Amino acid sequence: MVKLEELRKEARRLLAEGEVRCIIGYLRNPADGKAVPGFIRKPEEADALVWDPTCFHNLARFLVDEKRRKAREKNPDTRPVGLVVKGCDSRAVVVLLQEKFIERGDVVLLGLSCEKTGVVDERKLAKAVPGRALRQVEFGGEEEFLVTTEDGQVRIPAGDVLADRCLECPANFPVLSDWLQGEKTKRAPAGLFASVEPFEARSTEEKWDFWLTQLRKCVRCYACRSVCPMCYCDECVVDTINLAVTPDTTAEEKAQKIRWVEKSPVDSENIFYHLVRALHLAGRCVDCGECERACPVNIPLRQLNKKMEKEAKTLFGYDVGFDPDTPALISCFRDEDPQDFIR
Amino acid sequence: MTEEFEPKIVAFLCKWCSSAGSDLAGVSRMEYPPNVVPIQVMCSGSISPLYILSAFNRGADGVLVSGCHPGDCHYIKGNMYARRKLALVKKLLEHVGLESQRFQMSWVSAAEGQKYTQIIKDLVQQLKPLGPQTKLRRID
Repeated sequence: MVKLEELRKEARRLLAEGEVRCIIGYLRNPADGKAVPGFIRKPEEADALVWDPTCFHNLARFLVDEKRRKAREKNPDTRPVGLVVKGCDSRAVVVLLQEKFIERGDVVLLGLSCEKTGVVDERKLAKAVPGRALRQVEFGGEEEFLVTTEDGQVRIPAGDVLADRCLECPANFPVLSDWLQGEKTKRAPAGLFASVEPFEARSTEEKWDFWLTQLRKCVRCYACRSVCPMCYCDECVVDTINLAVTPDTTAEEKAQKIRWVEKSPVDSENIFYHLVRALHLAGRCVDCGECERACPVNIPLRQLNKKMEKEAKTLFGYDVGFDPDTPALISCFRDEDPQDFIR
Repeated sequence: MTEEFEPKIVAFLCKWCSSAGSDLAGVSRMEYPPNVVPIQVMCSGSISPLYILSAFNRGADGVLVSGCHPGDCHYIKGNMYARRKLALVKKLLEHVGLESQRFQMSWVSAAEGQKYTQIIKDLVQQLKPLGPQTKLRRID
């Protein structure tokens, strides 16, 4: 069991002793009863921290913003930030460490296990209590969530509302933390790659029809990119507008700027964008599911990333986000890597 | 009047082995289909997945990446990285429903002009029945 009071106490201590600049954790949004990311800067504010199944956000993203802030400010506060992490978030931090994007000293990890279940999917939850204003969701043991709505409390089987990623979670506890609450359990109720496997059995044309229908919906809002803790490049390769144009920039330089992909949301460019994103996340995506949650048109983006995760595991025996000291997937190789597809 | 479909193939050939292999095929006057547009790169390891997607995006019907045999890389291990990276590209392209024959990889050494011509012949044979690649192609 995660004792929330312990988390608040630790947060208070860290802030009072000045060990961290702020704590990034979850607060409750009184309007809909769900958690929202929040910044705690004073010890007395620490009591607002919450931990419940609606803490589905991946707060590791804020480490990217934090690094940018330090680079931008003249005299930045270089103390670490405290970050509340669950299993998937901690794996994202591991990948950021692995890529040397951040240093271990930049962050104090307050780890919370997912209480042997996981977090909810907003859309599934809305369907489970249709039309009811949500007040609070609580963990209720291994198989249930306690959902309080305006009509009172109901018990909902965890399997009905768990986020898809939690059904395939390789480890629902933080793999890296400075402070940890809760049990270390490994359970993937559905199997590690359950969402990908049935899809692989489809024929080429069925696959294509599926993805064309899905990716055609994309409006190229780049919400998936903005919410992703791994999409931290200062200059994204799919942006065609990011040539720094100064008075000295010649017409030739502007013309020579490679436009890999056009901005217009047409089929070919949408597909290009999502394929590039999937490839750039291969061996880096920790399956926190944020891209899919943020997507305004419900594209099953996890499918693409999960496929890459599966190939990394089956072809190269690579587990994403467990060891900060191993090299990244495509910056290493083994002599026995499969090459049956090469003539 | 219907003309037979002639696939357009973009071949990324590494400078040290495959490109020399294709050169050997040329100077030895071996015959092979003229459907291929060779692009010389310094190493197969330098090929970004973007190049491949981009080739399809601009209308290639097939893409071939060819490098040195494992152990023969001029840069010691560039082709080993390529093997890993491009395996992922291939899996992903198949996952979204592109025909697996459209993207192929081969090891061709500087002495294997014969093998190079055979690879191109086979590739053209495989691509002809598939028809033009329209899935990833940009429509202007």
